[in-house]
Amino acid sequence: MTPFTSLTAIAAPLEIAKIDTGMISPGRFQRIRRRPGHADYADVFLHDLRFDEHDRPRPDFVLNDPAYRGAQILVTGPDFGCGSSRETAAYAVLDYGLRALIGPGFGDIFAGNCMQNGILPVVLPIETVQELWRQLKSAPGSTMTVDLREQTVTAPDRAAHSFEIDPTRRERLLSGLDDVGVTLQHLPQIEAFEREYQRRKPWLPRLS
Amino acid sequence: MTLPRTMLEKIWSEHVIVASAHPDLPAQGGKEQRGEDLLAVDLNLLHEGGTFLAFDQLRIEGRKVRSPERNLAITDHYLPSLPRAAGPGSIANPAIRNVVEWLDQHTREFGLPHIGMNDARQGITHVIGPELGLTQPGMLITCCDSHTATQGAMGALAMPIGQSNQERHVLATQTIWQKKPKTMRITIDGALPPHVTAKDVILAIISRIGIGGAIGHAIEYAGSTIRAMSIEARLTICNMSIEAGGRIGMVAPDETTFEYLQGRPYAPRGADWDLAVRHWRTLASDAEAVFDRELSIDASTLAPMVSWGTSPEDSSPITQCVPDPSSAADLERRRRIERALEYMALTPGTPLSSIAVDRVFIGSCTNARIEDLRAAAAVVRGRRSVVPAMVVPGSTGVKGQAEAEGLHRVFEQAGFEWRESSCSMCGGSNGDMLERGQRSASTTNRNFEGRQGPGARTHIMSPAMAAAAAITGRLTDVRTL
Repeated sequence: MTPFTSLTAIAAPLEIAKIDTGMISPGRFQRIRRRPGHADYADVFLHDLRFDEHDRPRPDFVLNDPAYRGAQILVTGPDFGCGSSRETAAYAVLDYGLRALIGPGFGDIFAGNCMQNGILPVVLPIETVQELWRQLKSAPGSTMTVDLREQTVTAPDRAAHSFEIDPTRRERLLSGLDDVGVTLQHLPQIEAFEREYQRRKPWLPRLS
Repeated sequence: MTLPRTMLEKIWSEHVIVASAHPDLPAQGGKEQRGEDLLAVDLNLLHEGGTFLAFDQLRIEGRKVRSPERNLAITDHYLPSLPRAAGPGSIANPAIRNVVEWLDQHTREFGLPHIGMNDARQGITHVIGPELGLTQPGMLITCCDSHTATQGAMGALAMPIGQSNQERHVLATQTIWQKKPKTMRITIDGALPPHVTAKDVILAIISRIGIGGAIGHAIEYAGSTIRAMSIEARLTICNMSIEAGGRIGMVAPDETTFEYLQGRPYAPRGADWDLAVRHWRTLASDAEAVFDRELSIDASTLAPMVSWGTSPEDSSPITQCVPDPSSAADLERRRRIERALEYMALTPGTPLSSIAVDRVFIGSCTNARIEDLRAAAAVVRGRRSVVPAMVVPGSTGVKGQAEAEGLHRVFEQAGFEWRESSCSMCGGSNGDMLERGQRSASTTNRNFEGRQGPGARTHIMSPAMAAAAAITGRLTDVRTL
């Protein structure tokens, strides 16, 4: 996965509470294949909020405002990503182009899935989030900075807000290590275990 | 002297590669390693449902399958239950055909062993693991399916994993991070009354402890009733551990297990067999082992069970009536029963044995092994089904065995359809579904809203009870036939 260190990008305000993973990645899109180098889940992201029943963009939906085109930061309402554990929700966020989510709180499994995919969920107090919304709306297309090394979010008004993150998760995002990468750091132990294990249990089935 | 240990603790410790430094911290949904041990996976079984995302992710990451010889892909969920010799291309529905073809493509691309739709060994994953002798005592087995616990009946530690990210982790590393669950022993003692089967035992357990009753616990089923059971019956019990809230269910291996395994295609042979059996005999929980929870069931008090609601815990002996929500212990339970009865179109106080059914389904990883088909055939022999009914054997091997015994004739003469092995109408992934509002008697494991199709109404029960329902057209106490 792509490491996350610091990101300066256009930020979009999404002032809706409890957007669940079913809204982020609706059920009927769960069989879309993913190809290297393609953003196959880009249109899935918040599909029914962004598009009407004829698949035309809803002009009044915030992310369809041309000012937010290319946004890589989304400032969300409370409980973004609650609901089912579907991993396509994180794919949709990533393929839409987002690298950081800022909100008062996130669905637990969803947040874990995001970090597996190099997306940083930042938790800030609701008052701070509301202030960010206010600034972003007053100057649509403003940029913000999310710095994981410093653990700060810099608002459009240049005020810096620090945030907390689990140190293990921070380390992994900074180095671009996903769960498989972490496990494979133990590869010498795994291989040593397997040699001894195979010696003790030679009868275990092997397929071909 | 070592402390007495449970079977779970013994098998678990044999597979720990990296022990958690903080075993008392909570697990983080499999994503964080705090509180979790890194375990070696002896065998990973996977099917076509949802796993294409795991392979897509591996490809995007440029990763390979680390130990293909310890994995087996099996096509089961999306397979037509009608004749299918023409291969995947003959599946009319493109969405279903795609999923089948994707697994074919992915197993070729990643070099994974695969039992595809026209393989003579094909079957439902949880049926053929034991049937092929792949599932052996003491093994740690993962599978991207909530009914993985089925295989614990062989004395294995079999755990469900997620179909995309977690599947990909197992494929890429042949390991899994897991927090050791608590242990719960359910002891069933005594002789089962006539026509009371493993399915009735597990439904009785679930109706007592509820669908969340064993959450966070690995269940060990013990006691004289279990010891007297065949492997097929034990597989049925362990299968529905997840409907009791337990991701893991297991039975200690014994002579019945060894006898079942010996001579099967992947079972050890010669000196390896002796070595294996010697080890397998050490796996049972020690006499003094302490479990976090205990539950005892008197087998002699049990009766044939049927479900009446929209959760497996909504099950009662067939002799009872549809419950009255107002007699529920609390308001939440009362509301849930009201909603369930509304969905099921049932009136409180109606005798369960008067509920008419539209269809009968005998199949699934719960109840489609040879003994299940024999039990159902014994009921229908010489009789006629008065509603559409079908039998979908749990594996192509089971189908062949049943045909060798002439069971297919018994079913066909009774008006049942005799189909090809598939997961079929259990969850309807292959298109075998009930119509909206239809009511089934089904040998499956879940009666959730919409499980057998949108608006479908499912009553779950044993194969003999489902067969009896086909003969009378209503839920029926098989003992009265």
